Amino acid sequence: MRPISRAVLRPYVCPTCRHGIGAGQRRFASKSDPLDIYDVVCVGGGPAGLGLLAALRSSPITSKLKVALIESQDLNKAKAWNLEPTQFSNRVSSLTPSTVSFLREIGAYDHLDTSRVQDYQDMQVWDGQTGSRITFDWSMETSPFENPRTVATMTENANLVRALLRRIADSGDENLSLFSNSTVASIENGSDLAPQGPNLSAWPILTVKPTTPTETTAAPKRIAARLLVGADGINSPVRSFADIPTQGWDYGRHGIVATLALAEPASPPFPATKRTAYQRFLPALGGPIALLPLPNNHATLVWSTTPENAAYLKSLPTPAFLAMVNAAFRLDMTDLSYMLGLPSSSDSTSTSPSHQDELAWRAQHTSIPPQIPPPATAVQTGTVASFPLRFRHAAQYVSPRIALVGDAAHVIHPLAGQGLNLGLADVASLSKTIQYAVSHGMDVGDLLTLERYSCERYLPNAKIGGACDLLHKMYNVPGEGPITWARSLGLGVVDSLPFVKGFLMKNAEGY
Amino acid sequence: MASLRLTLPRHALRQTCLPTLHPTLSLPQTRKHSSVSADELTHFSALASSWWDPMGPSRILHLMNPLRHEFIASCLAEGSPSPTTEPRATLNYLDVGCGGGIFAESLARTIPLNTNTAPTPTLAATMTAIDPSTDLIRMARSHARNDPTVDAHLRSGKFRYLNTTLEDVIAGTAPTTTESSSPGSSSSQDLSQNSNPAQYDIVTLFEVLEHIDPKTSTPLTFLTNCLKALKPGGWLIGSTISRTLPSFLLNQVIAEAPWPIGVVPRGTHEWSKFVNPDEVKGWLQEGLMRVADSGVYRGGRAEVEGMRWKCVGAVYVPGIGWKMVKGSEDWGNYFWAVRREF
Repeated sequence: MRPISRAVLRPYVCPTCRHGIGAGQRRFASKSDPLDIYDVVCVGGGPAGLGLLAALRSSPITSKLKVALIESQDLNKAKAWNLEPTQFSNRVSSLTPSTVSFLREIGAYDHLDTSRVQDYQDMQVWDGQTGSRITFDWSMETSPFENPRTVATMTENANLVRALLRRIADSGDENLSLFSNSTVASIENGSDLAPQGPNLSAWPILTVKPTTPTETTAAPKRIAARLLVGADGINSPVRSFADIPTQGWDYGRHGIVATLALAEPASPPFPATKRTAYQRFLPALGGPIALLPLPNNHATLVWSTTPENAAYLKSLPTPAFLAMVNAAFRLDMTDLSYMLGLPSSSDSTSTSPSHQDELAWRAQHTSIPPQIPPPATAVQTGTVASFPLRFRHAAQYVSPRIALVGDAAHVIHPLAGQGLNLGLADVASLSKTIQYAVSHGMDVGDLLTLERYSCERYLPNAKIGGACDLLHKMYNVPGEGPITWARSLGLGVVDSLPFVKGFLMKNAEGY
Repeated sequence: MASLRLTLPRHALRQTCLPTLHPTLSLPQTRKHSSVSADELTHFSALASSWWDPMGPSRILHLMNPLRHEFIASCLAEGSPSPTTEPRATLNYLDVGCGGGIFAESLARTIPLNTNTAPTPTLAATMTAIDPSTDLIRMARSHARNDPTVDAHLRSGKFRYLNTTLEDVIAGTAPTTTESSSPGSSSSQDLSQNSNPAQYDIVTLFEVLEHIDPKTSTPLTFLTNCLKALKPGGWLIGSTISRTLPSFLLNQVIAEAPWPIGVVPRGTHEWSKFVNPDEVKGWLQEGLMRVADSGVYRGGRAEVEGMRWKCVGAVYVPGIGWKMVKGSEDWGNYFWAVRREF
């Protein structure tokens, strides 16, 4: 916890003790700098921060709260974001049905460009080591005569951010302030404004500065927050101010992302709208490779692997990169390890065989499982990128007048695609908590208010994050051995017991 | 599921609070005809320092506070004190025995800052909170300053903390300014309000009834005084604990058991002072008749027959919190309300 004087947390101090405490307190504030008082100040304009703002604006109970959002990027640019229908950003997230219903509830889903959004109804997950497989779909819950139920919805983050910004802009009035291109220069505790004003000594006061040099003439603004929400990512400044520690580790893995174009599937899907996501665990290579569907036969790639493999893959020329992606869904661990050792240069004078030739030759001698994605045929230029995989969990989500949401509170392994969903679930819970507080005369920044949010979210986040961590560790044991047998047995058991699978899916999707 | 019923931590901190810390504890407000017990006053003043600690001995009370708002909203839905049908923030509240201001401050937060904003579920326009303990009122005022909204209401006079007793409010002799030392808080327009005791639309009495000093007052005279402060059409709303075998087991045996079972300090409850719903109802019937008394008319059956009486129990379940449970009013904590008809 940040150092708040005891006198603030417990405002009554008996007369004999009062002499000692009051001495060091700042008794005045410079009257020259104006101080704006907000009910909710959100630092960070990512999906979580914008989601919170949109949720607060959409509820009649909280729509009159004075709210502010501070984002270092240009929000106008994000609002005007546009791409060709055949181009897709490489930052893509899967939204679970409960996240989608939250977005519908707050009126943001209507602003999403649905031609750039892809539902999928089937998910094939298999073990590259043992070949054991699990199929996730809702067929055990629905009758064969209705349309297959959606497992998740793929959307570009930019599309989601734009939708949330449009939703917020729709609700704009004098109670809403968006500080775009602005950073938080400092956060400090306020002071007692006696005798003219209230005692703000437990309130966080932010100094907001524009980032662009052209606007440096504008004086930094000082704003006081009844509730300061940290939606400011893994290195959250709000969390540092609140002095909340985090536990966690780096996985020593990188995730490679890319936007791919796929070949036409060998057999057309039935029903025609049915789309499938694929994930294959590659224990010898350090993590799973996943191919998630996007509209118009495109797909987004997420390949978790060691930093060395990631650097090698990123250095490959496009045809070789595509060959590696296709190989990763088809070939054995030994073949893949061999191909990762081939020279990466595209030098035509090189005597060694190319990745494409290796794939073509080795695929003939491998028994290829029936459920694999169609081959990737092209990479959208400039979309191959990588990011480090980490696990973090804040020791607590709340502190007096502080709440953490999204990555500021927890960062998890992306293998189940749950990160953004957990963040938006935090936001849904926090906005409900704020609604409850407002309608019951509670102070939205009070610990008694915020503990409702923290109670609701801490365990579910720890559960999902822990499950992803466990899966990552289990699927990083290469070769044959007890763990390998256990996981293939486990996967087989789960796949053949519909009720266990249904339970797992409901848990993962937040039903 | 084990449910625990808890009440105000009356003797909480008795062991932990050094008596020497309060040498200047002031008890000037205990007047001859006051319903305030000196014993209770000493005890609650000693609680002052931990009153607003969310993890302190008053935590259970803090957790109960949202339920009070819900109960008030249910009363207002049943019969609005203001004759206008459209909901407007016009109601004047009086909180008797406000203590450190847990309820009073939360209600003051629902008073709209300016008249054109939408009314809140409480429809509150003003709040007057009274308590006989000087220390608690001082502490409540000091805490209220931590919220700019509440602070603004204190300065404008829409929200007042008065260090006085109900008897003085009825007699019209209560101090009218919130804080004599505070500049800019003079509320001269409120002077006129106090000349007429029947000026409040809602009088609240949360966890107070079980603290009436039997030597100087009775619940009957106290409740009659509360009804006198009500405008016709207004609600008297309270909460207390019933004196039954389950409430004895839950409050005295389970809730005060040693850690980790017990959640309140030993000596918190005094079971014999608890009151049962039918007792409250009886006193209120008598009170309504007395209030209707005038020089030429004596209140009688007519007042009692039309009496609008609400009563609902509240249960605290560890890990879940407070819940209203119909029919549980005989087990322990319960809310009650009565309307003074037009």
